[in-house]
Amino acid sequence: MKRLFVAWFSAVVLLLPIAAAAKSPFAPEVKGPLSQRVVAYQIDAKYDPPTHTVTATETLTYHNLTGQALDTFPFHLYLNAFQPKATWIHEAHRDGNFRTSSLANWKPEDYGANDVSSFEVVGMGDLTKQMKFVSPDDGNPDDKTVFQVKLPRPVAPGQDVVFKIKFKATFPEVIARTGYKRTFLLAGQWFPKVGVFWHGQWNCHQFHALTEFFADFGTFDVKVTLPKDYIIGATGVQISDQDNGNGTKTVAFHAEDVHDFAWTADPNFKVINDTFDGSVGQVKIRLLSYDSHERQWQPYITCVRDSMKRFDDWYGPYPYAQITVVDPPHGAGEAGGMEYPTFITGDSGWYIPKGVHLIDLVTEHEFGHQYWYGMVATNEFENAWMDEGINSYTEVKVLDSFYGADASILNWMGAQLGEREYQRFSYLSDPDIDPLYRHSYQDMSMGEYGAISYGKTATMLITLEKIVGEQTMRNAMHTYFMRYRFTHPTQEDFMKTINEVSGQDLSWYWNQAMFGTQVLDYEVLRADSNPVNWFDENLKEKKGETEYETQVILHRKGDFVFPVEAVVKFDNGDTTYERWDGKDRWVRYVYRKKAQVESVQIDPDYQVTLDSDYLNNSRTTESHHAAVHKIATYWIFVTQFLAQMLSWLA
Amino acid sequence: MADDQKGPVAAGFSLLWRRQGVLWWVFVVNLLCGALGAGPATIRTAHALSHSLAGQKLTNGFDLGMFIELLRLPKVDLWRYTTSSYIFAFLFFLFMILVTGGILESYRQDRRLTTGDFFAASGAFFWRFVRLMLLSIIPFAIVGMIYQGLSKLADHIGDRAIADQVGIFLGWGAMLIFLLLALWVRLWFDIAQVRAVVQNERGMWRNLWKSWRITWHDSRHLFRIYFCISLVAWVTLVIGLVLWTHLPPTSLPLSFVLLELIVLAQLMTRLWQLASATTWYQRHAEVFAVETVVVEVVETTPSPAPDLPAADLGPELPPADA
Repeated sequence: MKRLFVAWFSAVVLLLPIAAAAKSPFAPEVKGPLSQRVVAYQIDAKYDPPTHTVTATETLTYHNLTGQALDTFPFHLYLNAFQPKATWIHEAHRDGNFRTSSLANWKPEDYGANDVSSFEVVGMGDLTKQMKFVSPDDGNPDDKTVFQVKLPRPVAPGQDVVFKIKFKATFPEVIARTGYKRTFLLAGQWFPKVGVFWHGQWNCHQFHALTEFFADFGTFDVKVTLPKDYIIGATGVQISDQDNGNGTKTVAFHAEDVHDFAWTADPNFKVINDTFDGSVGQVKIRLLSYDSHERQWQPYITCVRDSMKRFDDWYGPYPYAQITVVDPPHGAGEAGGMEYPTFITGDSGWYIPKGVHLIDLVTEHEFGHQYWYGMVATNEFENAWMDEGINSYTEVKVLDSFYGADASILNWMGAQLGEREYQRFSYLSDPDIDPLYRHSYQDMSMGEYGAISYGKTATMLITLEKIVGEQTMRNAMHTYFMRYRFTHPTQEDFMKTINEVSGQDLSWYWNQAMFGTQVLDYEVLRADSNPVNWFDENLKEKKGETEYETQVILHRKGDFVFPVEAVVKFDNGDTTYERWDGKDRWVRYVYRKKAQVESVQIDPDYQVTLDSDYLNNSRTTESHHAAVHKIATYWIFVTQFLAQMLSWLA
Repeated sequence: MADDQKGPVAAGFSLLWRRQGVLWWVFVVNLLCGALGAGPATIRTAHALSHSLAGQKLTNGFDLGMFIELLRLPKVDLWRYTTSSYIFAFLFFLFMILVTGGILESYRQDRRLTTGDFFAASGAFFWRFVRLMLLSIIPFAIVGMIYQGLSKLADHIGDRAIADQVGIFLGWGAMLIFLLLALWVRLWFDIAQVRAVVQNERGMWRNLWKSWRITWHDSRHLFRIYFCISLVAWVTLVIGLVLWTHLPPTSLPLSFVLLELIVLAQLMTRLWQLASATTWYQRHAEVFAVETVVVEVVETTPSPAPDLPAADLGPELPPADA
């Protein structure tokens, strides 16, 4: 009997890894590994909902692929950012607020923390006392978001080192992409995470209010024990769900070729499943939402599927077996609009009018991050534009393809707004403060960070299409993705790829748009026609017979130099296209013909979105009042309505 | 059917219709205020757009991006010109305080007043109505505070509920309560204004107290009148805006006419409320005159008549079934 039990137990133990392996984290036609796997995390976590805490043991195997011996290892403890004297809180308070959160009512119970109780290195003993908090960015002695440990002996190149860490994560009420709201929990940045050895040194920044994260690729095997009525979703795929018989269950997840692991849980979640047939096989879409958001389930699924299709067609395949989409509950806005590998959070509500594309705006953006962050894993601390900005650019392209360029965000009650305009206004709110190349966490403020990282990059890349062409730009983005997926490319890698695919040296453009803060503004300064024989006292002007000299002057008002295309229209139907290199301060065009100029327009297709003033891009000789009358009509109505409302108090 | 056989709502509408000149006057002044308030912004917009093709994005639809461009660019900066709209809205508010006396006098007499008579009445009641308006700040502030409290409570409960709808519906409920309470306060002060005109009352504290008792005593009836007319205002507003969204973007004259009709409907319903309040009060003022005689008789009689109204309700109070 005992022998039989041993045989059965052995069979189960042997078959378990096979069962786990059968649940591949990749789409059917993808064979791993896809990345250079530097880290392997195994985490056993237990969630206690009443205290919003997780106690866990983490085993991290680090493969030293750096080519040099390492004796010091830095780790992130991101949740320690939510302490009063931490750099993150200091920066967020300096800028007023963080996203939707007001820090004015920030209470001690909203603090977050990562406490490491034990830090052991296999073969080197307990090094808990060697842990030392460091602040490489600002020297803040009270910031505890990075600690480092010096090992008794170095890890040789090619060798592995295994860390065993016991820690407790205390979640704040949702702030900055992590935390709880009622029974909902989004566990992001919750475990000690090793830094990235990059360009010959450790890159392990403190947690800043402005910027996000950076980590190495690897594998994650995470078990979460929680009350059994909870529904859980996470990075990767679920490989087991075991009832512990004591009111709890343990759910195990496995993920490969990702650089972070997040999970969410709530007993009130509703699970909606769908699939997407991609170029490398079927991908499962798992939406976690709420009964009260039922109207939004289909828009979510449709948006994810359509976004996956566009990215698959344009940039490259999504190789993972699953994408988990979380629709946070009301009041948990800080958990919304966030990306983790194979796991995104959206933003919705009970009712969103048709024509307001909020779900698409957020969901598409976060899905786009699976490419620009998830797979092309750039350094978000230093080059936020490479994930947020490039992603905002592809967001414009994808949403334009959904709803048209003029109404991709809003088409409601007669008003339209396009995504490219939204990005442009974001950029123009602060166009000349910080250059893109500056380390993002060092940007002047939260507003400036948003304007530059998101708005300017998207606007700059749309404008770039004017130079290289839309299709070439798409090809370049495809090449960039395929070449740098599962790596950590630099700014230079991106520029080099665009130059290479377009076959152009675009240094002149990068120098201004990337490294500079120049602002682009060209205007039609003058457009008029005068009779050639103006001195003839008997001159009687007659359309089609009198000869005119037409003068058109284009003016570079800004300090950004860019080639200009202008369309000159005459009253006999003639149209002339002019192209100016835009380098001089102004240019004059003179025409002699039996027609007068009707209009001159720079960039008639509104493609040069970097242009800071659209109103001066054109000039007509006749005045047009339709738009003025329309605005006047609306303005009069609003004033009248306001007046009659106020008079109700009389 | 004669007006005295109609209910106050219908009779009020008849009165409004007969004295429609008042409504047109008010509408013209409102339009003038709108036009003058919009003037600086229009001039600024004309300066920026008249010789630019950028305006096409606003005529063939309404490109919010181009409108934001007008708000954003320092050389246009339309935000700055919202001030003139606020100023003219406030002037219209003052104008309405001024002419309410004339309007109510015109409704009271139910005849077309000469311009001199109209403004004489307006001037006669102006300061009294200014005092009433200032006094109305107190109950309106209390109603506002009640709303704040209810709104916070709705947020508190909503924040703890799983479903979004709980907080949203409670918030709407709080808003509805606010609107109904504000409507009741408006009704009370309208009765006070009507009473001031009909009784030529000079003491506004006393007037308010007596108007409170009148309004409170017959609040169900009076409130129904005001609520019905308000409902007309809200429904016409919604229908008007829905129709407006379905107009072709280039049909500007039609758009202008529709928007003006919306404003006209709002002003009309407001004056309809005043006309109905006047009609209601005058009917009950006649009852009051009879009651006064009865009271005088009672005072000289050793034992009170059994069918008299309760003494603490005051001599002016209308019967409950009026």
